[in-house]
Amino acid sequence: MTKLRLSFALSGVVFFVVLAIAPLKDFFREWKWYQYEYNGLITELPRRVKPAEIGIKQLWVRGLDRIDRCGTCHLGLSEPALQQARQPFRAHPRIDHDFEEFGCTVCHEGQGAATTYKGSVGNVEYWDKPMYPTKFMEASCGKCHKEKEVLRAPILTFGRELIEESNCAACHRTEGFEKQWTPSLDGIGSKVNRSWLVNWLKNPKAYFAKTRMPNFFLTDDEVNILADFLMTLKTFPRDATLDRLPAVLTSGTEPQREKLAELGATRLSEARCISCHPINGRGGTVATELGKVASKVNAAWLYSYMKNPKRLQPGVEMPRYRFNETELAAVVASIQSEFVDYEMEERPPHTPDPSYFEKGRALFKKYNCSGCHELGGMTKAEEMGPDLTSIGAKKLYEIDFGKSSIEQALPSYLFTKVKSPRVFSPTMKMPSYEFTDEEAQAITVALLGSTEEEIPAQFKVQPKPRSTYAPQGEFGKLVDDLACFGCHTMFGRGRLVATDLTLEASQAQRKWIEKYFKIPYSLRPILPERMPNLFVSDAEIKVMVNYMEKVFIADSVEREVRVDQDSMAKGKILYYEKYGCQACHQINLKGGYVGPALDKAGSRLKPGWIFHWLKDPQAFKPETIEPKNNLTDEEAEALTVFLMSLK
Amino acid sequence: MRTPASCHNVEYHLMTHVLAIVAFVMLLMSCKEKEATPQQADETVDTLQTSVKVDEAAESRLLSYEQRQGRHLYLKYCSVCHGEEGKGDGFNAFNLDPKPRDFTDVAYMNALSDVRVAETMSQGGRGVNRSPLMPSWGGRMSKKEIAYVVDYIRSISVKAE
Repeated sequence: MTKLRLSFALSGVVFFVVLAIAPLKDFFREWKWYQYEYNGLITELPRRVKPAEIGIKQLWVRGLDRIDRCGTCHLGLSEPALQQARQPFRAHPRIDHDFEEFGCTVCHEGQGAATTYKGSVGNVEYWDKPMYPTKFMEASCGKCHKEKEVLRAPILTFGRELIEESNCAACHRTEGFEKQWTPSLDGIGSKVNRSWLVNWLKNPKAYFAKTRMPNFFLTDDEVNILADFLMTLKTFPRDATLDRLPAVLTSGTEPQREKLAELGATRLSEARCISCHPINGRGGTVATELGKVASKVNAAWLYSYMKNPKRLQPGVEMPRYRFNETELAAVVASIQSEFVDYEMEERPPHTPDPSYFEKGRALFKKYNCSGCHELGGMTKAEEMGPDLTSIGAKKLYEIDFGKSSIEQALPSYLFTKVKSPRVFSPTMKMPSYEFTDEEAQAITVALLGSTEEEIPAQFKVQPKPRSTYAPQGEFGKLVDDLACFGCHTMFGRGRLVATDLTLEASQAQRKWIEKYFKIPYSLRPILPERMPNLFVSDAEIKVMVNYMEKVFIADSVEREVRVDQDSMAKGKILYYEKYGCQACHQINLKGGYVGPALDKAGSRLKPGWIFHWLKDPQAFKPETIEPKNNLTDEEAEALTVFLMSLK
Repeated sequence: MRTPASCHNVEYHLMTHVLAIVAFVMLLMSCKEKEATPQQADETVDTLQTSVKVDEAAESRLLSYEQRQGRHLYLKYCSVCHGEEGKGDGFNAFNLDPKPRDFTDVAYMNALSDVRVAETMSQGGRGVNRSPLMPSWGGRMSKKEIAYVVDYIRSISVKAE
């Protein structure tokens, strides 16, 4: 009997202990300590803050299908008094989204339902989306924000720009990126020097540091075969042929050519090639390097190209300068005498591989050169690389890290891949773009945001539809010939290197526009890009200005202003004393030069434009930094009168 | 909760016995829960120097979200006069008299409250009895954006200290 009692007593104790484990375990939960700590912390604050109730705090975001318990420990998220507090109690930065409405893991990733630190960060088995490190945070913006420029996500925006510029869409299926224009290779054999081509294929950046052409790490054999293959391509697109060089260039005497080169140098500087082309690394960035171009292309090609760029290279954004025959010869002579690469490595003549043509073609296919470059007779290998439309949703088990020892996570994989594309396996074909860490980070952010996640429409921001504006007729031909879209935007199409022309005729006076074509001067001295002198004829100017006056105009920007001495004096006071406009604008060489100089504003601008611009500058040009001063009509009118008096 | 002293019924004891054993086994099982192990990489083949592990010290030196937003806006609107580093030496500064404020002037900046700095930005110099050469940005930037820029300007002063 005592034995039985003893065993009862013992098992009773065991039972008690076992029963006690559950409440004890519950008592010692990790998150509870944070909550006690928080309640202690807030008593030290100068301002009274509501203490936390002990318990799990859960946020259910129905729209985005997330359940997040992050608020269990992150107790001070919406408490401004805790902006400087230690984590996990710090207040959330002031963002444009209400995180009560969006939840946490939609942006931060990690495991929302977890109640331990380790679990919620998500670096645990069977969890594919650990929290993003801060430097890749903006990736999440990209899930919903598909617009071109995401206001609060500059890194994401930069990454998308890089993806577009680098022409990733040539080999990969991407989310909304379009293939960029690249030169056609038809006729390359009649254009370039073989030594140059060999050097270029070996390392494009050695010739032009900012080229978009990546390095394919070709072996010497591959380079030779590919160069031999490309040099056989002698016919230009649409059977265009090279013009014959003028006699003075081929058989002229030395002094003759020198004199010609002098004229050419003047024309070249007037044409402001440097606005778009870098010359030995200095100058514009939108076109190719010119500093060594005479060692790259032959004179006949240069002459014919300058005469009409689009004939040899359809689609190129190079304007056709209106040079006459002598000027063309002069420009070519000048380029030939000045833009020479004296250090270029000459490749000795060699015996081509007997089957170089077939082998070259195969290499051309292997590296998907036709992804970027057009070449008659070659079909484009569509989408050679992996599909990138949902790369941000890639699961860890789908990634081959090879032998590298990087952190096993998607962001580090993408970052490394972008930086050194062939690092995970020697058989990979992706070329190297030599991105900097900053660029690779931005591209990684943009790629991570490409998830194709199903998100309810009300959360998504779609990109603006592409502008379909295409001017027709005489004006349309001129716009194409002069490559206006290369710098200017019209009705949402084109680049913003130079001013948006959509309302040009509402903004500027006819006489001024006409004169500007003749002698383009820079209104903003700080801009590196200058309007080139295209040497257009009076008749062409008339066509363009007539079109502008019918199309680039809006009635809503018209306004008559009454000119009287009173309002002029008042405007002057407003200009100098109230709004301090001279901080950024010059009149008579006095004032800043952030904005355009306003001397002769009265002979350049229209009063209606000045008035409406002053009222709301960003309504016309969203990117301008002109402050919006909320002027009254009376003030805007007085300023308009004052500015119009500057003739 | 029952204690052994309150139990006299034998059947009850047997039941608790069984329950206790079951509970104990369950407890043991719960202890066996496998600790998650992230995939370990082979450290010996790291010849690539491509690790992008999060450097926590570096992360904490980064600007906060607000400061980064502020910096973006600052570079667009303010740096032309106040300079990229905030020293009041932007390219347009030499055209101005009085000169733009030097944000690295810690003593001066510390004497200003956030409210005052925000007010100067939103209403311009004229709004706070200073030079009208400082434009008012209240029409261009929202209150939140101005607060971002104030945060960033503060980080310049802190760095200078």
